[in-house]
Amino acid sequence: MSIRAFALAIAATACAFTPLTSPAADPIKIGMVAPLTGPGAESGRFQMNGAKLAIEQINKAGGVMGRPLELVVEDDQTTNPGAILAFSKLAGDATIPAFIGSIRSTQVHAMAPDILKTSKPVMIGGTDPQLTRLGNPWLFRFRPNDIYSARVIADYGVNTLKLKKWAIVHSTDAFGTNGMKNLTEALKNLGATTALVQGYTNNSQDFTPVALAVKQSGAEVMGTYMTFEPDQGIFAKQLRQLGVTVSWVGSPTTATTTAVKLAGPALYGSFAVVDFHRDSGPAAKAFAELYEAAYKSAPDIFSSWTYDAVTVLARAMNTAKSSGPEAIRKAILATRGFDGAEGTYNFDQNGDGLHGYNIVRNDNGKIVFDKHVEFKD
Amino acid sequence: MGIALQLLFTGLGVGSIYALVALGFVLIYRATNVVNFAQGDFAMLGAFAMVVLCIDLGWPYWLGIVLSVIAMALIGALFNLGVYYPLRHRTFLPVIISTIGASILLENGVLAAYGPRPQSLPGVFASQGFSIGPVFFDSQYLTILAVTVVAVALQYLFFERTLLGKKLQAVSQDKEMASLLGIPVAFMIMLTFVYSATLGGLAGILVAPILFVSVQMGASIALKAFAASIIGGFGDVTGAIVGGLALGVIETFGAAYISVPYKDAFAFLVLFVFLLFRPQGIFGERVAEKA
Repeated sequence: MSIRAFALAIAATACAFTPLTSPAADPIKIGMVAPLTGPGAESGRFQMNGAKLAIEQINKAGGVMGRPLELVVEDDQTTNPGAILAFSKLAGDATIPAFIGSIRSTQVHAMAPDILKTSKPVMIGGTDPQLTRLGNPWLFRFRPNDIYSARVIADYGVNTLKLKKWAIVHSTDAFGTNGMKNLTEALKNLGATTALVQGYTNNSQDFTPVALAVKQSGAEVMGTYMTFEPDQGIFAKQLRQLGVTVSWVGSPTTATTTAVKLAGPALYGSFAVVDFHRDSGPAAKAFAELYEAAYKSAPDIFSSWTYDAVTVLARAMNTAKSSGPEAIRKAILATRGFDGAEGTYNFDQNGDGLHGYNIVRNDNGKIVFDKHVEFKD
Repeated sequence: MGIALQLLFTGLGVGSIYALVALGFVLIYRATNVVNFAQGDFAMLGAFAMVVLCIDLGWPYWLGIVLSVIAMALIGALFNLGVYYPLRHRTFLPVIISTIGASILLENGVLAAYGPRPQSLPGVFASQGFSIGPVFFDSQYLTILAVTVVAVALQYLFFERTLLGKKLQAVSQDKEMASLLGIPVAFMIMLTFVYSATLGGLAGILVAPILFVSVQMGASIALKAFAASIIGGFGDVTGAIVGGLALGVIETFGAAYISVPYKDAFAFLVLFVFLLFRPQGIFGERVAEKA
């Protein structure tokens, strides 16, 4: 082989191995804290699937600033200490510019001091309103917070169903108690009367006293914040058995696949607020179709928010043309009118991206989209 | 009046679940002097066996019950061999730790195999129940009450009227004496575990249509059942049943007329009062220290 032919061969080989779309650049790593083991393991799988799907799409479209994205996942074991450990492990890697945090508010609270110390953006899914009011500038929320769920429950019951006399049933844990407080407040602002506020402890074996209290209160409509699906299933069945036909507008738990399956006909005709529903808009539908094609199963709220979080993060880095923490922070906060799977993102200065909820209806066991309620404030 | 009757019916229904699980506690305690902390998990396993057989495999309900009960009997025997038998000559503490270990293993084993999602199981009867006046009679609670009555009656006949039952009683009263009389003590204890596991499994199968099937279902029932058996008099069969029923009724009425969030507190308040003023329980005999 002549020298010229040899040089040509080398050049040809070099060309063949060089990708045409992106230069052979190092990937940009995105850290992710997710429950891969423990009771939340199933939700962890959904969260990872959502994030991976977004990364696939972004890399197909040329990556971020010409570099591909790469997901680095650490297991939080569905516990708070696990989440802190997982985050500090990821934070130790200086090449990671931003993170996907947790969907559980309690874990975000636990990680918050370390996040402040690390001073890099963390996308979260926990819905405790306090999280973005802690004075921590590095938390960005990709689900509407619980103040909005309460406002939407109240608004839908009072203004759409035209029902004024309410009963509130809530779990006595942090989620249920905060939900109850926000709902009481929202109902007061709309001029509705609250005939009954009834708490219960998680994992109750019997809800007869609660069902009877709702019956005796004479309420026309019931708002609920119930944490676990089995509790909700037992309550729904006993409520209907005792002949209580009150209208029902519940928190997202009322419309999960598990809740619908466990309660069966007892939940038919009920309403619930949910942050993700495939029929809520074209972006949600597109995400659902992508997800189904990739994983052969339907997506849920666990996967939609991580999909949006990665997409908005990549978009912010591309707009800012930087992976510096402050530049990403400013670009995320400047995001306006971006249509994601969960809804339209308009970030406020607290770091909350979404300000409304979807209302869905249980139509003989099928969860159908009813309407979207958005707030400007 | 209607409300009180409704509460009484549900209270007795819930109470009979506690009673069935409490019976399992008491029988094993009488035979081995050990509290079996995996008793609640027998209920969970029985319910999961039903889900596998009747929902996943789609077999008929009655066949599912028969096979689940047989499976529980086998699990009871294996439990005896793996958890109790190797430690039988030790004090009660290592055995109790061993049952706690078994409980953790069973719960996490099922979690790994089946996942965290709760499952539902249809009731024994297609009809949910019927109303008489203001009171709704849930068919599943009626079934549970009926099965409890039958189980207690059969158990009474077995222990008091059969030779095998009397041998079991002898073993629970004095193992050394029983073995001197030629009673195979180890086999009798194995039978006790088999019976307790079957009873626990049956409780799980019966309660599954109401409380659904989840990994944690056994633990919350077992805690109340344990309290019930202490209130009734630990080690006493009648006490377990009366204690279970009483606890179910007390917490249902307490929740309805005083406070729902403190429902669990009533059960433990009653336990507390009994431990203070009558630690031997309703039917227990006072054990005096020998001089």
